[in-house]
Amino acid sequence: MARASIVGAGMTKFGVHERPLPDLFADAAFDAFDDSGIEPPEIEALYFGNAMGGMTENDTHLAPTLASHIGCTGVPAQRFEDACATSANAFKHAVEAVESGRHDVVLAGGVERCTPETGLGTGAMTKVFVSAAHRQYEQPAGLTFPGVFALLTKRHMHEYGTTEEHLAEVAVKNHYNGTLNPRAHFGRETTVEKVLDSPIVADPFHLMDCCPFSDGASAVVVASEEAAESFENPVDVAGVGHATDVVPLADKDALPATQAARDAASQAYDQAGTTADAIDFAEIHDCFTGAEVMATEALGLFEDGAGGPAAAAGRTALDGDVPVNPSGGLKAKGHPLGATGTAQLVELTEQLRGEAGERQLDDPERAVAHNLGGDAATTVVTVMEARQ
Amino acid sequence: MSGSEPSADRLDYVEWADRLRDGELLGQECAECGHTTAAPKAACAQCGSRTIATVTLPTTGTVHSETTIAVAPEGFEGEYQVAVVRLGDAKILGRIDDTVDIGDRVSFTDVVTADDHPAPVFTPV
Ligand SMILES: [Zn+2]
Repeated sequence: MARASIVGAGMTKFGVHERPLPDLFADAAFDAFDDSGIEPPEIEALYFGNAMGGMTENDTHLAPTLASHIGCTGVPAQRFEDACATSANAFKHAVEAVESGRHDVVLAGGVERCTPETGLGTGAMTKVFVSAAHRQYEQPAGLTFPGVFALLTKRHMHEYGTTEEHLAEVAVKNHYNGTLNPRAHFGRETTVEKVLDSPIVADPFHLMDCCPFSDGASAVVVASEEAAESFENPVDVAGVGHATDVVPLADKDALPATQAARDAASQAYDQAGTTADAIDFAEIHDCFTGAEVMATEALGLFEDGAGGPAAAAGRTALDGDVPVNPSGGLKAKGHPLGATGTAQLVELTEQLRGEAGERQLDDPERAVAHNLGGDAATTVVTVMEARQ
Repeated sequence: MSGSEPSADRLDYVEWADRLRDGELLGQECAECGHTTAAPKAACAQCGSRTIATVTLPTTGTVHSETTIAVAPEGFEGEYQVAVVRLGDAKILGRIDDTVDIGDRVSFTDVVTADDHPAPVFTPV
């Protein structure tokens, strides 16, 4: 049984945008409205994600501003903020709202600008991003966000023998997939040599192990099981899991386990009545190459320690047995924080409908999205299924 | 009211930071489940108990994970190494003076300060 359905999906190209947040979000929202055939007054609520707008653009009370901007004036509208897992959390609440009977049709989505269009350079934006690490116990040491995932990944390498080449293979694969996605930030291929030759950001991560600073927006129209019947192309939400891990990261029992992802995945699989073995493909939060490797293990797609070799063996490629990030992922598609979670669901929707163009997988029936925020603390995992 | 008695001497951040600046690393040990942390909280992060004792952590430990930050946030100058250091039953994030690998022994020798917030510095032994 579906918990809810996505009946419309839209997103902007991810990359560099001069347009301010309301215009950017409208582009994605209207894309989703047109996809579902709905008009703004039929939307009953807005569940909206933006992570850093207060710091990056001095823009804070965004939900009603954006609701007004897209013709949904007056609806209950709220902003969610969970670092990079912001819009997956907005989506989760949208699912719960239609499932509970509170609303029939709602909009969930997010927008963010992270490029120098905000007026912030690399050092300033690096400081903004690390606001998602612990203020008292992590920021004073000079930790950065690449540093957070570097600490988790270095421990993974130590425990399992994961190599820098394994990590680079993730970047190569996602860059290739990005060349097939017209909305991806990067549309060029790369090689293991180029990744390993790029400058270090926080070892083991080279620049090419890291996702880019991107601007963009994404949105999905979420309908109750009953309301979904009146739309043309519903794709069903079978399970949504949401868990957090202890902060700061030094308090985690096992750094590479990304326990919140394991907990969220088991909730989502249980709700969907499925297991990792039945997943046809995954959109994974690959903010850094090491994050994708750890997530493939946490989601049960590979045994612990097997994620790196699996990537290097091509098992996560488009033609592999478990394709990961057909969209290009955060690495190549881009990572406008607040737009990332629902953008993953846009990819799931299009793939499960068979509408993903050149990167379309072979008739997938069931997929999982994994959106992670903060120092591997907030994780939302969503299982979606094609209509039979 | 239910549950455990709050600790009379709950270690808060201001006290932890003051003592850190004075060269002492304080942590907490939970009376209920024994969980030990180097990042004091108002209740135990493992079991939720509010009965948690302030403890002095060992000053020598082992590098659990590390990375060298090359691209630093505004207000910091790269490069520098940070590490998660295991001190007895607790782990803590700190700065490394010199360079270390996972498994190396280090000791707490100094403090760096950013925006008036201190962080411990560890040196290889
Ligand atoms: Zn406890």
